[in-house]
Amino acid sequence: MDEMLMEFLAESAEQIEAASAQIVEFERNPEDAALISSIFRLVHTIKGTCGFLGLERLQRLTHHAESLIGCLREGATATPDVVSAILTAVDQVKVLLGDLEEAGHEPEGDDIELIALLERQVAVCQGAESAPAEAAVESAPEVVAAAEEPAVEAHEPEPVVAEAADEPAASAETTLEEKLSNPQTQESLDALVASLRAAKLDVRREAAKSTQGKPSEPAASAAPAAAKPAAPADAHPPAHKAESGEGRAKGADTIRINLNTLERIMNLVSELVLTRNQLIELTRHKEDETLKSPLQRLSTMTTDLQDAVMRARMQPVERVFSNLPRMIRDLAHDLGKKINLVTEGADTELDRQLIDLIRDPLTHLVRNCADHGIEMPEDRVRVGKPAAGTVRVSAAHEAGQITIEIADDGRGLDITKIKGKAIQSGLATPQQLERMNDEEIYRFIFAAGFSTAEKVTNVSGRGVGMDVVRENIQTIGGSVALSSTPGKGAKFSLKIPLTLAIAPALIVEASGQRFALPQHSVVEAVGLNGGEHKIELVQGSKILQLREAVLPIGSLAELLHLAPPANRVEEAEQLAVIMRVGAHAFGITVDAVVDVQEIVVKPMGGSLSHLSSFSGHTILGDGSVVLILDPNGVCQSLGLEQSREGAASNVEGGALRGGDRTRLVYFRAGSGVDKVLPLSNIARIETVHSDKIEMSNGMMLMQHQGRLMPIVAAAPEVMVKEGDNTVFVISPDGESFGLLIDAIVDIIEEKLDVEIAGDQPGIVGAAEINGKVVELLDIGHFVDIVRPQEERPKDRKSRLLLVDDAAFFRDMLAATLQAHGFEVVKCGSGGQALSTIAQGGAFDAALIDVELPDLVGFELAEKLREGGAQFPMIAIAPYATREILRGATAAGMAGAVGKFQRTQMLDLIRACVEQPGDGNQDDAFFAGAAA
Amino acid sequence: MSYEPSKVIRETIQTAGNALDGYFSIKVAGDTFGLPVTQVQTIFRIGSVTPAPGGPSDIVGLVNLRGKIVTAVSLRRRLGLEPEAGGPGSLAIGIEHHKEAFALLVDEVGDVLTLTADNAIAPPPHIGRRRAKFASGYNRVGGQILPLLNVDAVFDFSEEKS
Repeated sequence: MDEMLMEFLAESAEQIEAASAQIVEFERNPEDAALISSIFRLVHTIKGTCGFLGLERLQRLTHHAESLIGCLREGATATPDVVSAILTAVDQVKVLLGDLEEAGHEPEGDDIELIALLERQVAVCQGAESAPAEAAVESAPEVVAAAEEPAVEAHEPEPVVAEAADEPAASAETTLEEKLSNPQTQESLDALVASLRAAKLDVRREAAKSTQGKPSEPAASAAPAAAKPAAPADAHPPAHKAESGEGRAKGADTIRINLNTLERIMNLVSELVLTRNQLIELTRHKEDETLKSPLQRLSTMTTDLQDAVMRARMQPVERVFSNLPRMIRDLAHDLGKKINLVTEGADTELDRQLIDLIRDPLTHLVRNCADHGIEMPEDRVRVGKPAAGTVRVSAAHEAGQITIEIADDGRGLDITKIKGKAIQSGLATPQQLERMNDEEIYRFIFAAGFSTAEKVTNVSGRGVGMDVVRENIQTIGGSVALSSTPGKGAKFSLKIPLTLAIAPALIVEASGQRFALPQHSVVEAVGLNGGEHKIELVQGSKILQLREAVLPIGSLAELLHLAPPANRVEEAEQLAVIMRVGAHAFGITVDAVVDVQEIVVKPMGGSLSHLSSFSGHTILGDGSVVLILDPNGVCQSLGLEQSREGAASNVEGGALRGGDRTRLVYFRAGSGVDKVLPLSNIARIETVHSDKIEMSNGMMLMQHQGRLMPIVAAAPEVMVKEGDNTVFVISPDGESFGLLIDAIVDIIEEKLDVEIAGDQPGIVGAAEINGKVVELLDIGHFVDIVRPQEERPKDRKSRLLLVDDAAFFRDMLAATLQAHGFEVVKCGSGGQALSTIAQGGAFDAALIDVELPDLVGFELAEKLREGGAQFPMIAIAPYATREILRGATAAGMAGAVGKFQRTQMLDLIRACVEQPGDGNQDDAFFAGAAA
Repeated sequence: MSYEPSKVIRETIQTAGNALDGYFSIKVAGDTFGLPVTQVQTIFRIGSVTPAPGGPSDIVGLVNLRGKIVTAVSLRRRLGLEPEAGGPGSLAIGIEHHKEAFALLVDEVGDVLTLTADNAIAPPPHIGRRRAKFASGYNRVGGQILPLLNVDAVFDFSEEKS
């Protein structure tokens, strides 16, 4: 295809996308003159180029669309009819462009009906305008002036353009309207645009030619040609000039790259990474220094290169968000609802391949919120909500993942209906539902063919959808979570990996063959030979009892029908890898987990792509090829697709319920029982050689990130061993210290109930985990050792009331707060807190857990205030979600913060304490809102 | 985008190749086949093979050809002959077919033969259907009949995927 045409198509596709989003925006803010000018420019540019390229059908259509937009620009009201007409035209342009791209020429036919519609609207607009003609004249200068401002601002470095643009603006005010509606002017404008474009393109082509030694005469002649029509530019919309200037500015630092080229670079880099890995593997055992250092350099450079290419593939999620306003507008229109769309974090970047893959699920979820979530305006007003509902779509980058949240402030999920439907469709019995919590019941909506919509609308509710959404997200290694508050709205959270191309994987071995297992679906690996966990046969099916959960389990070798290796001597040690795919938790047994590697995922070739157990293949560092297991496929081959949803809850429930289970590091220190510490308390785990640990002034010290870091023994008997030592790096507030232990036993996710309070220093208390007694270390104690009292800031010895029913958090937070010079009074319940206040306890601030067994934190805050408490109060929760923030504001609290967000918590407390007696300040502090 | 000289050249070669000359004679068990030179990307000895459980039985597995993963297909198994060992060191022909890279395991690669349209003969009528589909044509070369390997059929596993 013609290169120019290609360029036009690529450019126009973007422009048309932008235009439709802006039109919707304009309907909302009809005062925004800059916006309509920008829309006008976009359409005008397309029209001009069409004229130049001889695309008559497109030119005619855009011309009429432009006329209508022109009316809006001149002050006509953007009625829904007008906007719909423009949008229809924009859609049609899109269709035509699509056909053009496929066929290489404009499709046959004309758009008489559409053009007639546009003309009718133009007539309506002009008719409406002619009456208040004077008003229009008055408002016109304003419009132009407003449109002018951003243009001038944007071009400060180019005063010439700005001035030229300014000047006509002044003289154009009065004549602009008539000249624009004058067909002759219109044509000359088109000619101007065309010739400007021609000039630009010619120059570009000539530049290319001139490298072959040809003089660039035509380019020189093209320049005056461009200049000539530019001279009578007084009738020319100034904004147009600004646009061409903009184009130039942008052109300077971006270029368009063909996707295939980028893909090829990506592939080459992947190969390079693999080759690098092979080289490293080869030289690992060779002490050849001459080879080592260049290899080292190659290695770093390859990593950087890989990173850079990955970045080049990144695109802002805006690409998906940009079609949402239009969709919401149409939906609201069709459904007779009022819906506002709020998007946040549109600049969050994601691999372009993933952007395309999340488009459908995301669109579906947004549609679902608008259709099922948001109530009719009357209903909303009746329950005291604003008539217009809000759908909020936000994206954020979090810990190597992208989180996209789709929330509405509608009616929330109807749990009764879901229950009814679940029983009706045989997914669960009433007895089973009895035992389930709300989250487990909500999750039924992800079951195949599950829709509670009473009437099937053309928007959603066709019974396909949520299951497909979940499946699509899982296919790319993501997850969907769901929360809902009746009457307040529902929220879907999508977690999506940054890229598909490289993923961490476990390399497992079964029957002598190795396979890669993507880590995102692996929950844990459990040894089976210890006797603690055994595989049992129940009615012919293998199950594994793991803690309370009963999991289906299968042997990978059997699932894949692998022949046992010939040299098999005896039963090898078996490992069960526990995986989770959506609602299913299951295990597969393997002979060993050989390695954990970052693998470059490559899709299977056509002849093997039908194998559902594998999602691709990769080359490992040693050059061998391994197949990548597809957790979905494995799950299916276990015969799990129809089993009950509840099974997974035992494994993943902890994470969803939040706070119930804690990730704990289980380790040995000293002679007593094993110790545990929440993983969240540990910044890093380091292996430190005994040489690196020095004694100074009776304190152990080590170099850590260029600074001396004090080390304390986790128990008095723990000594520095000759050779390697394990040190937990703990940073309660950015100031790190090390905790020397004997050995890490395991990392587990468990519910932690401290049952017996400790009497030993450094121990919070004892707890039972998996039938064993462990001791929870008291970080505060070690902070005290490392930083004696005198070193702490003394200027703020404020008294804080800490209310939390979990001893663990109470002690952990108290220790942190004390370490920062606060005096802390701990209360284990709301009742206790109330009586403390009643007895006249004076505090500077209070930290209140939102989930207390006897009282909801927010209520406690209100009760405390009734009881005469004047100090600011802060809500604390495992994670400071938006709901909690809202609840906290509603209860007149000063803010909310996650329990693990020490820095934010301290900032928040300080902010509160420094403004005493101002508990009801308007601008509440919301730390950790993004958590 | 529209300017892709390599593609044009490649096509020209292909048409030229099909029109006349350039066939490798490849041998499996007792059989000899002609394989167009233009289809062959490389001839190499394979390293270790990673089996693809559940895949078509004629696919021996996946092998690493200089950092690229290729699907190894046994021509013997494909033709219903006694399978070879197929272990490391087996001789393979690198062929790209419908954008998928294949390694065709053969016993021997012989000389390049030049064939012209005059050599072509009608297919002998009594050849079994299973075997016949793997031949795209027959030629008489030096008094012997040389079937030409039908690469499309060899790498079409749509029947085996059930």
